[in-house]
Amino acid sequence: MEEHVNPGDPDLYALGALDGEEKQAFEAHVRTCAACAEELAAARQRVALLALAAPPAAPSPAVKQRLMQHVRAEKTTVAVPVREMRRFSFLIPALAACTVFFAVLAGWLWRMDLRDTHRIAFLQRRLANAEERSQEVASTAAETDRLLGVPGTINVALAQQPGQPAGQAGVLYNQRLGTVLYAGQLLPAPAGKSYQLWLVPAQGAPVSLGVFSAKEARVAMTAHVSPGIAAKAFAVTIEPQGGMPQPTGPKVLVGVPG
Amino acid sequence: MTSPMHHASDSALVEQMMAGDENALSALYDRYSGMLFAMLVRILKDTSAAEEVLQDLFLQLWRNAARFDASRGSLPAWLVVIGRNRAISRLRGRERHEVQEDETFSMEAVAGPGNIEDEAWRDQMRERLKKAMADLPGEQREAVELAYFEGMTQTEIAARTKTPLGTVKSRVRAAMQSLKQVFDDGRTRQSGRS
Repeated sequence: MEEHVNPGDPDLYALGALDGEEKQAFEAHVRTCAACAEELAAARQRVALLALAAPPAAPSPAVKQRLMQHVRAEKTTVAVPVREMRRFSFLIPALAACTVFFAVLAGWLWRMDLRDTHRIAFLQRRLANAEERSQEVASTAAETDRLLGVPGTINVALAQQPGQPAGQAGVLYNQRLGTVLYAGQLLPAPAGKSYQLWLVPAQGAPVSLGVFSAKEARVAMTAHVSPGIAAKAFAVTIEPQGGMPQPTGPKVLVGVPG
Repeated sequence: MTSPMHHASDSALVEQMMAGDENALSALYDRYSGMLFAMLVRILKDTSAAEEVLQDLFLQLWRNAARFDASRGSLPAWLVVIGRNRAISRLRGRERHEVQEDETFSMEAVAGPGNIEDEAWRDQMRERLKKAMADLPGEQREAVELAYFEGMTQTEIAARTKTPLGTVKSRVRAAMQSLKQVFDDGRTRQSGRS
């Protein structure tokens, strides 16, 4: 007859109170005994319930405000090509190191009481830029990780079309959620024109995902469409400034899901 | 006045979070922050520290929503487990990786006790649990509270209370049996309502 664990051990384990050899023996047994694993699951439920035994308390409204500010900051449009986002993650420590370096340098110059205030201002601007860039890269990486973690997300590379301005971009698309994450690098749009990103569905007219001028060297953005649209292709076209309801201009970048 | 989102199920809100909808996170925060904060304050005995852990907890939920499978576990139960782990780690200066291991397990394995998603049910259970805890013999209540709210192992409880290890085990077991009765009653009542 199979020997099971001591009757109180599931509760002790779920509480985190079991230790030493008893803990190891319990874990080993539960891995092979369905009945005791079931006991443990029930004990975990009871233990979770103990949270309700704490006296009521309410957090300050400022906690939620800070949380939502943080979340909005993470959602901010960012500027790194999707295809390279993961590779850029190595830049985070480098940017952090740059930030520290400029901070120390700026502090040293300040202490030296140098009269060259312009130089200090320059370093402070560099410091601010480095910090901003570091936050952008971290934010992009978080958004990318989030979408890549969702089953069904596809990665589509958008290629430069013949005769069009140089550029490259990538799209992450989750059909079930209708979420699109675009990031790319293009030359600035011609005067009076904008770039416009499109989802070309397997059936029906192209759906606009957003307009950008590409004043910056790199652009990234998140867009949402109705869930469930099967994508035949993604494309970037040049349109009159502000964009058009349907594509009218030349295709600059095109990508087809594999 | 509440928005329709405040009536949405946990799994629907998690789906919306996965799509990047911060209002879904806001609704889940409104739903569970009170329960979690009360537990965190009880463990940490420091309002500021509890608020920090609470904020980090929901930030993690936002970032990792895609990893949560509502069909395999209960969101509030997961939040309770992770929140408690983090608070105890902070309280006791434990290594972070210890928490990570628990988070992996619990994301998949913690089913919801009764109907913990329902606020009215939680209020009922809170009252019943409060009474049940008060009714426990002092030594039993102390053993459970040292384990749950201070993260002590049975050996540490034995040393703290100067009690033989076997006695500590018996006390915890007896206390949890009493609480099991509360839980079972609550589940029966919930079944009766539905």
